[in-house]
Amino acid sequence: MTMQIVGDILTWIIAVGLILAGILVILIWKKDQTRKISYIRFFVQTASVIAIFLSLDVLAAGPSIVLGVILLATIFFGRFFCGWVCPFGLYMDLVTEIRKVFKKRYLNLSEKTNRYLHKLRYVIVAAILTLPFFLGNPLDPAVWSSFLLFQRPFTPLIIVFLGPLEPLVIPWPGTIGFGGYSGSYPYVRGIVEFFPESLVSISVFAFIALTLASSFIVRRFWCRFCPTAVSIAAVDRFKRSKWAPLLHLYKVEEKCTKCGICKRVCPLQVTEVYEQKGGDVTTSMCMLCLRCVEMCPYEDCLKVKFAGKTVFKSRNWLKPSESD
Amino acid sequence: MKNQSEEKKYMPEISQKEIEELRNSVKATSQKVIAENIERMKKTSKNRPEAMQYFDEIANFFGQREKEIRAAKENGKKVIGYLCLFAPTELILAADAIPVRVNSGWYDTSKLGDRIVPVEVCPVVRSTIGAKMIDLSPYLELSDALISVLTCDGMTKLGEILSDCKPVWSMSLPRVKDSDQSLRFWSEEIKAVKGQIEALTGNKITRKKLKSAIELTQKATKAFRRLQEIRKGSPVIMGRDAMLVNQTYMWDDIERWTEKTEALCDELEKRARQKIWACPPDTPRVMVTGTPMIWPDNWKLPTLIEEATPQGVLIADELCSSERILYDPVGVDEWSMDDMLNAIDERYLMASTCPCFTSEDGNKDRINWLLNKVKEWNIQGVIYYVVRGCMLYAIEYTRIKKVLDRMNVPVYYLDTEYTREDVGQMKTRVEAFLEMLTARIDI
Repeated sequence: MTMQIVGDILTWIIAVGLILAGILVILIWKKDQTRKISYIRFFVQTASVIAIFLSLDVLAAGPSIVLGVILLATIFFGRFFCGWVCPFGLYMDLVTEIRKVFKKRYLNLSEKTNRYLHKLRYVIVAAILTLPFFLGNPLDPAVWSSFLLFQRPFTPLIIVFLGPLEPLVIPWPGTIGFGGYSGSYPYVRGIVEFFPESLVSISVFAFIALTLASSFIVRRFWCRFCPTAVSIAAVDRFKRSKWAPLLHLYKVEEKCTKCGICKRVCPLQVTEVYEQKGGDVTTSMCMLCLRCVEMCPYEDCLKVKFAGKTVFKSRNWLKPSESD
Repeated sequence: MKNQSEEKKYMPEISQKEIEELRNSVKATSQKVIAENIERMKKTSKNRPEAMQYFDEIANFFGQREKEIRAAKENGKKVIGYLCLFAPTELILAADAIPVRVNSGWYDTSKLGDRIVPVEVCPVVRSTIGAKMIDLSPYLELSDALISVLTCDGMTKLGEILSDCKPVWSMSLPRVKDSDQSLRFWSEEIKAVKGQIEALTGNKITRKKLKSAIELTQKATKAFRRLQEIRKGSPVIMGRDAMLVNQTYMWDDIERWTEKTEALCDELEKRARQKIWACPPDTPRVMVTGTPMIWPDNWKLPTLIEEATPQGVLIADELCSSERILYDPVGVDEWSMDDMLNAIDERYLMASTCPCFTSEDGNKDRINWLLNKVKEWNIQGVIYYVVRGCMLYAIEYTRIKKVLDRMNVPVYYLDTEYTREDVGQMKTRVEAFLEMLTARIDI
């Protein structure tokens, strides 16, 4: 009963907070040119975390549907999901914001390590995909039929692909109820399920501490090897086909003076945007947070194209805005 | 100063009397040239913006700004001169010092420089040496230290020669600009020079100070780019006027310069709306690229272009004495000290299109800059200006000609010297080029 009231109050606080945040975003939009997209992104991230939070029960009912939706969306949007929707991404961005308050600088991983981590995600996925067949008898048709329903032994799949979607930071094993809603920290449910009981508390705590601390030091650390993004990265292999994914980063070579800003501001340390000559510069590492497009000081140099149409482009952020 | 008692490496011993005599004569000529140049600029531009008056005053080397800097120096401020655009002005500003660029454009002093270095050496270098020999340039004299960036060969040795008279901090510049190790090396150089600036001024560069210095130059960049943006349309300002505005940034008070430039832009935008043009809109639109042209004497080519018959108008340039000064902003991601310093490193090293660099694809950035200017600013002809001895620019000509030929944009290679003697001959060459451009436009 009390939890029900807490949940209702929480819902209202969130609703009011979102409206206020929306107003704030519009105000900042007008003022600070170099943070326009960042604030919008924060807003979208928060809104989607809340949406996921509220529909958690639905999520639990049909993980295969959710996974299907994500994969389908990925075909069209690339890793847009990682930059704009993923709750885990939001937590890491919040940690980054806290770090900024301390005026401490992030650590850059070397390009080699970064690429190695990027490849590591395929290994993680391969390991988890084969895991159910070790847990169950691979010849048993029941094992195969449980694949589609994501039941045991296939539950690790859910954890791998939907793990980062666990909303609300609660440093506690398992789920926490809030007036009909339940929340957890990303991957914690998986740890609870698959770790021996004696180790659960300590491993959950260690996981949370590690992920928070690592994202304090390295921007978006988990995203560099997050297995969920594999689907997305795999889709990226079809980059050559014009329409999948529909969302592209496009660079106009002549306007680029190679000033290096795009390379430095990228939270995932993607170098292709800087290095490649021109044309489509999207890669499987890029999560389309659009920070580079936002910070590029040369008008029309970097563009975001959706289905061949430019939806957003870099502009001279030093230019006085119309309201001036 | 402290070196003066020591034996001089390059500078000859000239008697004080001779120095004074020479200085007075060169100064008198220079003042005449400044006045004459401004007079001619006024005459050519039919509707010269009123806001230009301020820049005319600041353009006088021996006037208001000299007095201001002298007064600031008496109040304990330090002045730091720099020889190349690579010197991080933000750091100088953050340490409460005044940055001034001290390259010289005096024709007469280049002859004096011949006493020290051979005539084959780039005249910009010779002229700066000559100016130092007779203590001519007020900004060079007022500087407490000089930042010399080792870009081309001439500049490298110029710093060494000037170290006879002033403390010179050399910053070694990597020649490959887009590799990680270059950037690491360059950021060490920036850090070292930061230490030197702090030691000289006695002011520590704090995060807040550096932030406000960066914001100050960003505002200046904003005004600067706005001016170049306005020049995209039909000419509301003559190229020489705009070039002078750009160039005064190198010695003016930055805050005031920004304010005045914004005022100028306001006026120009108003004129564009009223369709008051500085010259007929069908005047051939010319761009110059190559060796820097430095006020006051080396104003030869822009004057010739804009006073020629048929007249041309300078719309854009790729000169480190004009449009390259402030085109690239310092883009800071997070306002932490490290990130600001890195942003400064990258802005000075990577965004530059100086021909002293090469990279994986050669100096492709410079070509991109030119192509972008040609397309966006509607350039009809390019004059490739090289002074004798400027190897790097001369070498890159062939490549740039190839690219521009492919785009069907005429390029004209114009080589000259720091001298007034070839004006007549140059006039014929420039006029022939402009004639050809006019004919092309008519077709």
